[in-house]
Amino acid sequence: MSIPPEVATFLLWLQWGFLAYFICINVVYLGLNFISMFAILRYVREHGAGFRIKNFADYQPPVSIVVPAHNEERTIIATVRSLLRLGYPTFEVVVVNDGSTDRTLQAVVDEFGLVEFPEAYRSRLPTQPVERIFASPNNGRVRVVDKRNGGKADALNAGINTARYPLFCVVDADCILQQDSLARVVQPFLEDSSMIAAGGVIRIVNGCKVKDGLLSEVDLPDRALPLVQTMEYLRAFLFGRLGWSPLNALLIISGAFGVFYKERVIAAGGYKSDLVGEDMEMVVRLHDRMRAEKRRYRIAFVPDPICWTEVPSDLRSLYSQRVRWQQGLAESLFGNWRLMFRRNGGAVGWVAYPFMLLFECIGPVIEVLGYAAVIVLGLCGMVSAEAFVAFLFASVGLGVLLSVNALMLEEISFHLYPRPGQQLKLFLVAVLENFGYRQMMSLFRVIGLLRWMGRLRSRAKWGHMRRSADWHDEPGQAIAPQGPAGSPAAS
Amino acid sequence: MAIPMNADGQVAVAFWVGICVTAMSLALLAVVLVLRQLAQRRERNHLRATAFWKQLLGEAMRAPPAQAPALPWRDMTGFMDAWNELHDAPGGADNAGMRAVAERIGLAPKLERMLDRGSFHDRVMAIIAIGHLRSASSFDRLTELVGDASPIISISAARAMMRIDAARAVQKVVPQIEARHDWVDGGIAQMLHEAGPDAIRAELGAAVLRANDDVAPRLVRFLAGISREAATPVIGRILAEPHDEHLVSTCLQVMSELADLDKVRPLLTHPRWHVRMHAAAAIGRLGGADDAAALEPLLADPQWWVRYRTAQALEHLFRGDAARLERLRDAQEDRYARDIVTQVMAERALGETR
Repeated sequence: MSIPPEVATFLLWLQWGFLAYFICINVVYLGLNFISMFAILRYVREHGAGFRIKNFADYQPPVSIVVPAHNEERTIIATVRSLLRLGYPTFEVVVVNDGSTDRTLQAVVDEFGLVEFPEAYRSRLPTQPVERIFASPNNGRVRVVDKRNGGKADALNAGINTARYPLFCVVDADCILQQDSLARVVQPFLEDSSMIAAGGVIRIVNGCKVKDGLLSEVDLPDRALPLVQTMEYLRAFLFGRLGWSPLNALLIISGAFGVFYKERVIAAGGYKSDLVGEDMEMVVRLHDRMRAEKRRYRIAFVPDPICWTEVPSDLRSLYSQRVRWQQGLAESLFGNWRLMFRRNGGAVGWVAYPFMLLFECIGPVIEVLGYAAVIVLGLCGMVSAEAFVAFLFASVGLGVLLSVNALMLEEISFHLYPRPGQQLKLFLVAVLENFGYRQMMSLFRVIGLLRWMGRLRSRAKWGHMRRSADWHDEPGQAIAPQGPAGSPAAS
Repeated sequence: MAIPMNADGQVAVAFWVGICVTAMSLALLAVVLVLRQLAQRRERNHLRATAFWKQLLGEAMRAPPAQAPALPWRDMTGFMDAWNELHDAPGGADNAGMRAVAERIGLAPKLERMLDRGSFHDRVMAIIAIGHLRSASSFDRLTELVGDASPIISISAARAMMRIDAARAVQKVVPQIEARHDWVDGGIAQMLHEAGPDAIRAELGAAVLRANDDVAPRLVRFLAGISREAATPVIGRILAEPHDEHLVSTCLQVMSELADLDKVRPLLTHPRWHVRMHAAAAIGRLGGADDAAALEPLLADPQWWVRYRTAQALEHLFRGDAARLERLRDAQEDRYARDIVTQVMAERALGETR
């Protein structure tokens, strides 16, 4: 097969572009690794369990936990029960039933003996109509908002309207927490009065043991797809996010578990209901608003593993999740483009935003084009086997180095996977994911971007994910094959 | 157009980059595995030492021992864990048996050595241990550490000093409470609570009155937390003078003196909503049925929280007289006022069934 010399030359120059891109992205990632290393060492040093300064209950701010639920009949009770077991002095659980078509509402009402309650509802954020509010005579901590279906963002806004306390915590109905999860994620608010949001590390519950709705034993998944995602999450959270936090440039707080200062979110207009990635968009918008108003603020990231979530173990769910995440990313960035290179944008406007745009949002397109160019050049005999292998070797090597760095960060911090066998397994995954999985993820993300560009989505809907719930501890409580999709976890 | 660079050169660079990063990855993996082994060994030794000394100190708590084994340096971290944990346990503070063990093993100089040579975590544990030991000889050393850049080191040192000699420490610690915004409020409250009101009230009360309006709200809260009586004259003085509304709000939240209510009533019409809200709540807490008329207009306040706290205050003033509250609700022309009273009545009804 032969191609015109101009095209060939163009392709070769394009390859140089890809090489430059490849060098840049790896340099930035290594830089983030470096920052993360210091951040995590400092965090571990200052939050050692042996001398943790106990907080008087009076000084721990009360928190409203908002649980948006749509057709969660099978899990919602276990979720609320596990939330009620959290070790935190003052909190309430606000379940928002977003027009479920199953018995979600009835299940919670029956379980907690709720009664309809004449609450003077404040509609500070516009939402679909709220039909009823329920409260519990037996447990003052549980309330339920029953509203017409409007999507997850709409449900969150209704939850914020109902929340009593100055901080609200968003928890996905399928998340597994630890007893001290809330205390840990609220800690940044105690340490810095300018804190407006905080998120934590999301880990993978596949393969773990769960008892009474709380995590009891950590292990790696047996199946390949969740195992690869474990490595992905380690990388994404331990340097993809932790690296940005000290620079106050964190653009993502996972919608699965995060705490926000309520008044700031309301001032920013609440969650946007017409978006797929409402959680990320909210954080980007908070940055934008605070920068525009020239207010002192911080958005922090807690490196503790405080929330555990099930990841897709089948390709279809994974595809749909990644497509949604990429759409969400594009929505968040392009919807708040004023943040980029804002005069007082700081690290978030001048570094994090351009990085996310260039490497995370558009990056998959460049990566896929790179693969295509290599194939075309190879078919034309313009790439030798030696060159192909050498560049693949360098690319895979750098990918593995970043993954092993994440393992290193994990080792110096929480060592949740202490057995040498577990570490070797993760190392093997770090190598193998470069042969197929990584390329597939790039392709999924490109499809997500195309869907965003083509406006193929209609109104943002609840995501669906097939769940195996093999970690679940309560027979008869297996999780139904649907639920809210998580939020961007892999950076 | 020529290819921009010699292709063999590119391949060679790529190949060597691959070699280098692969070598680095393998080296890092080896480091991870070695670190894990070292950490596990250290952990095993630490657990062994902790268990040994916990048992020995536990026995000493019940009956002071005639002798004690030597404390080797490798056992120090385990010993400190056991020592601090037992002191925090009920009956652990000021235990003669544990003090006897500490004396026999020469604990004070060992802990001071740990302050010089230990890791961050071990230094903090040593500071806490010195506080439990109440080692007066270490007081000056702790004074230096109160000014440390790390909030953990400094607040731990302050707490240890307060344990050793509260009367002497308070002059050093209170100015730090004023100055250091990186000390966690809960940690300060804990320290003041341990020291007790008698040691703190005079110094902290004076600090509130001399502090600026940015710092004073925190100090008022601490003062009221350890002694409502000590806070009363200070709050009275603040409410009698014009001050920042956040300081006024804080005083309204913690006030407990009936006599100060005359200073609170005018605040029901304050332009800032949070002052009106706390004023209504304070009147609900301390006032009488005569105050209901002054509170009633606030049921129609534009701010939900003002309406809510006012309705709760009225419910409290009516001493749970549901019929009276219902009459009050029905007399309201404002829909929001009626709704909020309905909610408070429903909350009360729910509360009665709980």
